[in-house]
Amino acid sequence: MASPPYNKRYKSTDQQESLRRRLPVLIALMVIATLYLLVRLMTFQYQPSFVMSYYNRLANYNYNESQRIAAARGIIYDREGQPLASNTFDYEIGISPSLIAEPQRVATQLSAALTDYGIREIDVLNAVRSGDPWILLAKPVEPRAAEQVRNLELLGVTISAQPRRLYPQGTLAAQLLGFVAGDDSDQLLRGYNGIEGYYRDELAGRVRDETTSRIPFDLPENRQVNDQGSDLVLTIERDIQFLVESELQLAVTENGATGGTIIVMNPRTGEILAMASNPSYDPNTFFNIEDPDLLRNPAVSDEYEPGSVMKVVTMAIALDLSAVTPEDTYVDNGIIEVGGIAIPNADRQARGVVGMEQIVVQSLNVGASTLALSVGPGNFYEKMNDFGIGRATGVDLEGEAAGTLYTPGDPNWSESNLATNSFGQGVATTPLQMITAVSAIANDGLIMQPHVVHQIVDGNRVYPSQPSTLERAISPESAHIVTDMMVQAVEQNLTDARVPGYAIAGKSGTAEIPTPLGYEAGASIASFIGFFPADDPQVIILVKIDRPVDYWGSIVAAPIFSRLAERLAILLEIPSDDIRRGLEAEGGTVNDIWSR
Amino acid sequence: MSNNSNWIQQAVRRTPLQGQQQVFALIALALFMAVVIGALYLSNVADTSTTGRELEALIAERDQLEQTNEELRVEIAELRSVPRLIARAEELGFRQAAASEVEYLVVQGYNPQRGLTVAPIEEETEQLPVYDETLMGWLQQQADSLSRQFNEFNQSSGG
Repeated sequence: MASPPYNKRYKSTDQQESLRRRLPVLIALMVIATLYLLVRLMTFQYQPSFVMSYYNRLANYNYNESQRIAAARGIIYDREGQPLASNTFDYEIGISPSLIAEPQRVATQLSAALTDYGIREIDVLNAVRSGDPWILLAKPVEPRAAEQVRNLELLGVTISAQPRRLYPQGTLAAQLLGFVAGDDSDQLLRGYNGIEGYYRDELAGRVRDETTSRIPFDLPENRQVNDQGSDLVLTIERDIQFLVESELQLAVTENGATGGTIIVMNPRTGEILAMASNPSYDPNTFFNIEDPDLLRNPAVSDEYEPGSVMKVVTMAIALDLSAVTPEDTYVDNGIIEVGGIAIPNADRQARGVVGMEQIVVQSLNVGASTLALSVGPGNFYEKMNDFGIGRATGVDLEGEAAGTLYTPGDPNWSESNLATNSFGQGVATTPLQMITAVSAIANDGLIMQPHVVHQIVDGNRVYPSQPSTLERAISPESAHIVTDMMVQAVEQNLTDARVPGYAIAGKSGTAEIPTPLGYEAGASIASFIGFFPADDPQVIILVKIDRPVDYWGSIVAAPIFSRLAERLAILLEIPSDDIRRGLEAEGGTVNDIWSR
Repeated sequence: MSNNSNWIQQAVRRTPLQGQQQVFALIALALFMAVVIGALYLSNVADTSTTGRELEALIAERDQLEQTNEELRVEIAELRSVPRLIARAEELGFRQAAASEVEYLVVQGYNPQRGLTVAPIEEETEQLPVYDETLMGWLQQQADSLSRQFNEFNQSSGG
């Protein structure tokens, strides 16, 4: 074997020497680099918590998709099972440009399907060329148009559903139901006012955050969870509600009024069968209304001075406290002075010696004031409180007002208030408060809790509402005596309220409208509250008309009550008194609407 | 058994390059196993993803059907709204009844306010017979039944 040339051998030795000297340095550098990398790795592993959570979020985002899902909102049904508030969907059409293989074909077909939404071919083509990952084309899109787009089966076109509350009966019971709107904070739907507001949580169901894996190998989870909102079955009957709203609309138009309210209630149970106010709105397009006051429910939110309807309450108080008997009389001079204020009868006429019944029949302010004075302020206001005047009824509707009743000791109260309150002036109630108070007279002295929800249905569980007593306002005997007086009032004076074949107990009211500067000149609130059949009350009705051309409740509201009561008697299958007694004599038992 | 093992040992010993062949065989075996396991894994993963896709499609279809159901319910409700029903009824010649046209009848025995229980349950409930049958008793019944049928057949054919 030949030995390498000298210079090569020299070079090799030189290289070896060089390598021997450099190798430790190289190793040291590599060790340092490795240590550095290890330290970096360690520091990545042990970051501060906020940095860790950031990276965790990034990792989760890569592997999972999170979204907040609101459960389907509960449906609101009337008593007969007709939906008053339901759910539907609006759709959102978008495109992912990177997935569009044939832009021209997609543009042609998509623009044809979305013509009604102003989408042209050029819009779609521009969107495809934009290079953005996703572009919204149209929103909200009706279900039919969305279905058309879905049937095109275009790759890269996305259709996502957005839940929307829908009121299939339109304006029917709008103020009673309330409305649903999106909340900007979390993009979820929330109920406001009326039933939607009061039962907000029950109807909404449970909101959940759902995570879906982006990894194709992971099996999708079954996301069908029973977390939808509870359904509500109302005491409201759709047909009665429609009838009431139609009559109210007619009444407001006929009387040149600015608005009005009608409530129909079962005095035995406190169930509200219909509640309507005019003007109203369409809850499907509540965002278009110009006057936000329309969104409120005047039947529970607006206070008014009830006027002479209050005389039946005053009479009931005086009788129940034995301050007077039905046989008592007083001398009516046409005017009475209380607390330095002269209070006349509405017609300013003196009646002389007058019996108790005539105070209600002729609606005498002097008589009502005399009763209140005989009872005394302490007893009077205590009993007014028992009747629920000046406090909220607790009805299951959002936005109820408490009313206004000044009592002794209050800076706004003076001695004259005792007299004016006795005939419904200087005291403010909501329509619901007033009908609830008078319902005590119809219900043997018991005030029932007014309510609008008959049942709450949560999946397979049904929670029925039970009638509950709020208060015994007066004794049954006092209630019967006042009922007889109210029957006489209709028979002798309020003849427009009569319904052929039925004994009607009722009382009208005409109240002035208070303003910050006194009472509004020439304007009134005409009202009437009545119930029938008087000897076995099934229905109590309040009619209130705001600022009618004709001033008086007896002229404006009484005929509306009569028309409505006549139709209700047919709808609720309440036979006339003669027929009922005849049927009972034959051994029949007439159906009672509260047994339905 | 020992003969077999000897034969293999001899065969292996006689083979030239036996060391390399063994390594090659082991590598080939490992590769084969890896290919089989890989194929199984891929097949399993493909099945899983296919099932996942099918499930997603079914879930989407279910959601779509639920949405369609909701929309149909709404459509039905709108079609059955009171103004539409009134218009349709008027088209068909119906009109609202007047109070004088409503007739109330007495239905004998009907009481709308009665309770749910209308008669004493005990009186209407039949007493169930006491179950005291035994196997021997049942066999005896079957034998008697056969015997009775046989006799009836004889009587009918004789008569």
